[in-house]
Amino acid sequence: MSTETATPEREERGFVDRLRASPFLTELLSNRLAIFGLSLILLITVMGVGTRLAVFVGVLDFGQLLDTQFAQQQYYPPCGDATLTGWLSSLGSCQHFFGTDAQRRDVFLRTMYGAWLALKYGTVTVAASTVLGVGLGTVAAYYGGWIDNVIMRTMDVLLSFPSLLLALAVVAVFGTGLWKAVFALTLVYTPRFARVVRGAALKVLEDEYVEATVALGARDWRVIVRHVLPNSLAPITVQSTLNFGLAIIDLAALSFLGFGATAGTPSWGWMLTKGVENGLINGLWWMSFFPGLFLALTVLGFNLLGDGMRDALDPRMQDAVD
Amino acid sequence: MISKRYIFKRLLLLVPVLFGVATLVFSILHLSPGNPATVVAGQQASAEEIRQVEQRLGLNDPVWVQYGRFMLDAVQLNLGESWVIRKGEPVTSVLRWKFPITLELAVLGQIAGIMFGIPIGIVSAIKQDTITDHLSRVGALSGISIPIFWSGPLVILLFSVSLGWFPTSGRLTQRAYEGGAPQTTGALLVDSLLEGNIIMFIDAAWHLFLPAMVIGIYSMALISRMMRSSMLEVVRQDYIRTAHAKGQGRKITLLKHGLRNALIPVVTVIGIQFGSLLGGAVLTETVFNIRGIGMLLVDAITDGDYPIIQGTVLLFALVFTMVNLIVDLTYSYLDPRIEQ
Repeated sequence: MSTETATPEREERGFVDRLRASPFLTELLSNRLAIFGLSLILLITVMGVGTRLAVFVGVLDFGQLLDTQFAQQQYYPPCGDATLTGWLSSLGSCQHFFGTDAQRRDVFLRTMYGAWLALKYGTVTVAASTVLGVGLGTVAAYYGGWIDNVIMRTMDVLLSFPSLLLALAVVAVFGTGLWKAVFALTLVYTPRFARVVRGAALKVLEDEYVEATVALGARDWRVIVRHVLPNSLAPITVQSTLNFGLAIIDLAALSFLGFGATAGTPSWGWMLTKGVENGLINGLWWMSFFPGLFLALTVLGFNLLGDGMRDALDPRMQDAVD
Repeated sequence: MISKRYIFKRLLLLVPVLFGVATLVFSILHLSPGNPATVVAGQQASAEEIRQVEQRLGLNDPVWVQYGRFMLDAVQLNLGESWVIRKGEPVTSVLRWKFPITLELAVLGQIAGIMFGIPIGIVSAIKQDTITDHLSRVGALSGISIPIFWSGPLVILLFSVSLGWFPTSGRLTQRAYEGGAPQTTGALLVDSLLEGNIIMFIDAAWHLFLPAMVIGIYSMALISRMMRSSMLEVVRQDYIRTAHAKGQGRKITLLKHGLRNALIPVVTVIGIQFGSLLGGAVLTETVFNIRGIGMLLVDAITDGDYPIIQGTVLLFALVFTMVNLIVDLTYSYLDPRIEQ
């Protein structure tokens, strides 16, 4: 083929060069808010993974995080001082940085470990709904006709519930627990991905080179894997990022309502619930304040990044993302 | 103008969706493990009692018969009777009195969101890329990122416990209930006004203030974001440049010509997120102990009161779908190009 002479030169351009040339990344990296969001996410990731590793290696005792033997109300305020000024002044010499909860468990360590749980369950939720949504959306766009109709009308039905409500309905059927909450939210988010991917895929399928590939005799899966998916990647990534924040907040919300994490789990949602129950009104603010703060910061990070990504997106694809 | 054909088409599209929604709601009960009859009859019920309940609820009929019956009943707004929470009371009458409580909260939250969101969005757009803009954008994203179940308790701690400005929970001060709460619409603000009871109106508003604000932050964030981007979009249009070229000041141009057009997409956002506002009401009600439809659903799930769960979920889906339809129609009314 005549193009072959030109390809070697192209091949030599490294991955980094190609990334640098991408208008999406250039635009994204010039967005300070998005970079700030990315930094937040990295920070939380380091925190979560670090704490998990510390537990894994044995530096940190997992029992210490879950310990329930001090069932009586026994707690320490942050650094032994419940006032904000006292806390700030004694930061240097401090035993419980964020204080302890009513069971005398260290809130700092539990909050750190909560980052791991949030990322873990958030990742599974987003990954599962991305895979399912991408599959359904591509199939709907590629085959059209009744297949498209059946898939997308089903998605419409799922989309006609406010998201938390649908998750609650699923929980009502399948019961409570973090993994079941993950399952419920996967069901809630899948239609959004399906819709985005279908929209993006339809635009790709309009392109002439796809038509040419089909004319050359390419099989369905080849067109989908080689052309439709790579070209829909940007909107999918944006949607995933935005939904990551949502997933973390919704998982915590289900835990807060009592249908997610169970007693003892150092998940942010559960710590928040217990912290509010056990003392916020009595001024024991630290038990719920810190988990909530980190929850909010994580979600903010994903929202800032996702927002920046959406702005950086090729305008042609922007419509596809909610 | 919006064509009758378009409205008809949209209504027709609604039929399969509502059908699917009802099917999904039907399956809530039938997919869940355990025998519903034991929930209804109670833990200590004998086998005979359980059999009677099964008979009465028609649980022994084939699934498709039950499905058909559910659909026929649902069309006639008969959603069965509560099993546990309000044992024996028709679900529709329970919802009738719970829904206005939630709706009142959501509407107030929406009003708060609009009141703050639109001006913030406009200022943000006019002062694009200044520190004001950055702050309000981060503020808006924070509003979406902060969970209601965190900000709610903190707000209670600050304004109710520490400062004592607002009540911590509930809908009315106990004393105001003397003579019974009014039962005309179910929404306290409306009812107290209808009765001419100003004291009760103030008391209800005083109780609703914090929850409405907490919900409002979320909707404010979404509205100000949309307002900003829509305003920036409009600024690039030719007619703005023309008005500007005529010698009109920038701010006047923006507010007089820009705002009207920029508001169109904001209207859709206001409508679309009203559904999630109702969802947020579930959390807010739990935080502020307001016994509306959200808390009802949470209690129903905990107690296994399936008819209530079904009714609540169905109602939310109906409201959500209807609001979306109205939004779409409004949108195509404001911008007729959309019909194509």
